[in-house]
Amino acid sequence: MGKLGLFRARHLVSRTSIGAEWETIQRYKNLTLLDAIKHTLSYADYNLPPQPRTSPWAKTISNRKSMARQRNMQRMAKTEGKGLQNWWVNHMLTTKTPFLERMTLFWHNHFPSTIDQTKQPSALFEQNVTQRRHALGNYGNLLFAMAKDPAMLIYLDGYKNVKENPNENFARELLELFTLGGTNYYRENDIKEAARAFTGWGIDDRTGKFRFYPERHDGGIKTFMGNRGNLTGDDVLMILMKHPRTAETIAEKMWNEFISSSKPNAAYTRRWAKHFRDSNYDIKALLVAVLSSDAFWDPKNMGALIKSPVELTIGTMRALPYRLRKNNLSHNLSIMGQSLFAHGSVKGWSGGNDWISTQSLMRRTGLLTNLTRGNLRKANDSKMMQHMPDCSDEELITWLLPVPPLNPLPTQPGRQRLVRALVLDPAYQVS
Amino acid sequence: MDRREFLKYSGLLAAAGMSPELLLAAEGKMPEKIVVFVELKGGNDGFNTLVPYKDPNYIAARKNIRVTERVALPLGVQDMAMHPRLAGLHKIWGTGEMAWIQGIGYPGGVLSHFRSMDIIETGSHSEQVLENGWLSHIVPGYKQGLHGISVSNDGGSLGPLNSSRLNSVSMQSPRTFVSQSKIIKDITPVSSTPALAHLTNTQHQLFEVGNQLRAKMSRSLRQKKTTRSKGVLGHSLESVAQMIIAGIDSPVYKVTQSGFDTHSGQVGRHNNVLYQLDHGLSRFIHTMKQNGLWNKVVIVSYSEFGRRLGENKGGGTDHGTASAQFVMGGGIRGGIYGDAPDLTRLDSNGNVAHTTDYRQVYATLAHRVWRQPNNPWQGHRHIPFI
Repeated sequence: MGKLGLFRARHLVSRTSIGAEWETIQRYKNLTLLDAIKHTLSYADYNLPPQPRTSPWAKTISNRKSMARQRNMQRMAKTEGKGLQNWWVNHMLTTKTPFLERMTLFWHNHFPSTIDQTKQPSALFEQNVTQRRHALGNYGNLLFAMAKDPAMLIYLDGYKNVKENPNENFARELLELFTLGGTNYYRENDIKEAARAFTGWGIDDRTGKFRFYPERHDGGIKTFMGNRGNLTGDDVLMILMKHPRTAETIAEKMWNEFISSSKPNAAYTRRWAKHFRDSNYDIKALLVAVLSSDAFWDPKNMGALIKSPVELTIGTMRALPYRLRKNNLSHNLSIMGQSLFAHGSVKGWSGGNDWISTQSLMRRTGLLTNLTRGNLRKANDSKMMQHMPDCSDEELITWLLPVPPLNPLPTQPGRQRLVRALVLDPAYQVS
Repeated sequence: MDRREFLKYSGLLAAAGMSPELLLAAEGKMPEKIVVFVELKGGNDGFNTLVPYKDPNYIAARKNIRVTERVALPLGVQDMAMHPRLAGLHKIWGTGEMAWIQGIGYPGGVLSHFRSMDIIETGSHSEQVLENGWLSHIVPGYKQGLHGISVSNDGGSLGPLNSSRLNSVSMQSPRTFVSQSKIIKDITPVSSTPALAHLTNTQHQLFEVGNQLRAKMSRSLRQKKTTRSKGVLGHSLESVAQMIIAGIDSPVYKVTQSGFDTHSGQVGRHNNVLYQLDHGLSRFIHTMKQNGLWNKVVIVSYSEFGRRLGENKGGGTDHGTASAQFVMGGGIRGGIYGDAPDLTRLDSNGNVAHTTDYRQVYATLAHRVWRQPNNPWQGHRHIPFI
C-alpha cells in the first residue's frame, strides 16, 4: 500500500487531532493509510495535569438541601466551574495525544452535564475522567458508567427518581439521545416504565459515588420495549444495547464528527453500526471503519466539516506560534458557542453548520484576526519563523487549508503575511 | 491524488443565484408590517398563563400551583384570566389589542423539546421531518433583501428563520453587530461543500446587513443609552425596537425567553419568567406607541408544547400538549380564539387534546399579514385575529 503523502496526511491529522500539527503530518506522510490510522488510535496518554480545586459532594450536600444557601451554591459552582473549564482547555492545549481529548470531547457532547444545572464541578471533573477512560474503549461500558455517573444523576434528576415519584427526565434522554436516537423507536410508555426501572439509583451522601437505595426502588413488574418482568435499570440498559438503533445513533454522530456536516449517509452508517455491534461496541473498531472508509477520503468531503470553536482556537494555537491567554481562551470558546461543561441543552452542541451564525462568525473572525496580528512590515518575524515549518509556499497552503483559498493571496511577499492571509481565509474555518 | 488533481476535481464554483439576492442594503425601506416572534423556550404552561381559574377540573388538578381567583387577572369572558405577573399585558388586553389562542397544538403531540420545537419551527406534522424554517415558504414571496433578524444573548438559534432560502441573521445587539462586523469582508458564496456554502452565505449576509446597520444606525447607536430594560429578553426587545425605529428593512424579528421547563418548583420559576416577558414586552409596546409604530407591529408568541394539567409531586408540571399563545399589535382584533381544551378528557399521559392547530396561525399570518394566499398551510382555517 502506498504512502499517505502530505495532502492525505494533513486530512487525517486535521480531523483527528486538535489542529493540524506539522510534525505529526510529517511523521504520517510516510506511513500507509492503515498504519497512520492505527497510530492515531493507539497513541493515548491518560495522565492528567493536577486536578482543579473543587468542593466534594459531602460538603455541598447540606447547601443543596437548604433554600437559603442556594446563592452560595451558585457562587461556588461558578468559581470552581471556571477552574474546571480552564483545566481542560489547558490540557487540550498541551496534550501530546490530542485524539484522546478530541474523543473525550465527543463523548462530553454525547453525554453532557453542565456546571449550571449540577452545581457540582467535583462530579463534572470525575465524569470527564470517566469519559476519557472509556473514550477509546467500549460503548457499553461507557453507557453503564454514564447511567451511574453522579454528575449525570444530578443533571437529569436521576437521584430524585424514587418509587413514589418517578422522574422521567433521564429515561427520556437515554432513549431519545443516548441510545435509540429520535422519537420514532419507542413509545411514551417505554419512557415511563424505564423511569420506574431506574428508581433507587442515587448518590451516597458521604462518598459522593453512585449508590443503589433498594427502599426507593420500584420492584414491580414493568414492560419495556416488549420485555416484561421486574426490570432493573441495568436490564433496561441491556435491552437498549441489544437494539440495532443504539449502534446506528453513534455511527450517525461519527458521520457528522469525521465526514461531513451533511445528513448521514445511511449506506455507510448502517454498515459501520453493524460492524460496531459485531465487535461488541468496541469504539476503536468503529473508528477504524470510519477513518478507513472511502467516504472519509472522498475529495468531495474535504472541507465538508466546520471546525468547532475548540478546533479553531486551540487547534490554531497548537499548530501555529500564536498565543492567547488561557482564561481568555475558555471565555472565547464560550462566546463562539462551545462553553465546556455548559451545553445549552442535554442534546449537546448541535455543531456542524450550526457552529456558524452571523454572530459566531464575527467572533471567530475576530479571534483569528487578534491571534495573527503582528508586525506585518517585517517580512519575516524571526522569532515566529523559528516555529514555522521550512517548506514551500505551496506546501504551506496545502498544510493550512483543506481546499484552495477563497480569497486572493497577498501579492506582497513574506511568510508571516501569507500565514495570516490563509488563517483569515474562509477555507480555514472548515476541515 | 495530489493537490493539483484535487483542485480540478473540486472546482470551487461561485454559485451565482444560489442564495436570494440581497438588495443593495441601505435602500431597503421599512416594511409595511413587522412581525416579532417571541419564543418561550422549554414548553410554557398554558394553563397557568391563560388560566381557566374557575374550572373545577383545573382547581382539582392543581392543588399547590394553581393561579387562584384572588390573584388572577380576569379577562371578563369565558371565565378566563391571565397570570398575575402579566399585569402589563393585561392592560393591552383591556385596549382590545391582544388575542389569545387557546388549545393550540398539533395531532400526535411529541413530548421531546427538540423534536417538538423542530416541528413548530418548520411547520411540519408530527411524523414529518422538514429542513427549513417555516418562514422560508412565505417571506421571500413578500419581499426581497433582508428577511429576518434573531436577537438573543448567545446569538444563537434562528428558529423559523433558519433556512438557506432566507437572508436572516442572528445577533446579540445591533451595537455589537455594527462594531464586530467591521472586520468582515464581503465574499461571493460558493457551493463546493454544504459547509462552505453555509459559511460563505453567512459571511455575505453578515457583510450586507452590517453595512445597512452602519448606514442607518451609526447615529442612534452613538447616543447615550437611556435604557430601563432588564433581563435578557428586555435587552433583546430593546434592540429590536432600535432597529425598527432606525428603519431597518427586516419584516421579521425573533427574540427568546428561556426557563419555561418547569418540572419542579414551578410557582417561583414561572412567576419569574412571566415577569420578564411582561416587563420586556410592555416596554417594547410603549416604545412602539411613542414612535407611532404600534399599528405596524404584530407580536406573536410560540412554545414547543404546553404542560400537563396535573401537577407533579415536585410542585411542577411535566411535558404536555396543547397550550395558549398570544398575538398583539395595534391592528390586532382582541379576544379569545379557539375552543378551550376539554379538561375532563385526558390521554394516557394526562394530557389534553388540542383544539386549534398551530399551523392555523401560520396560514393566517401568511395570508393576512404577508398577502401570500398560496402557502403550505392554505388548507388550514384562518383565525380572525387580524
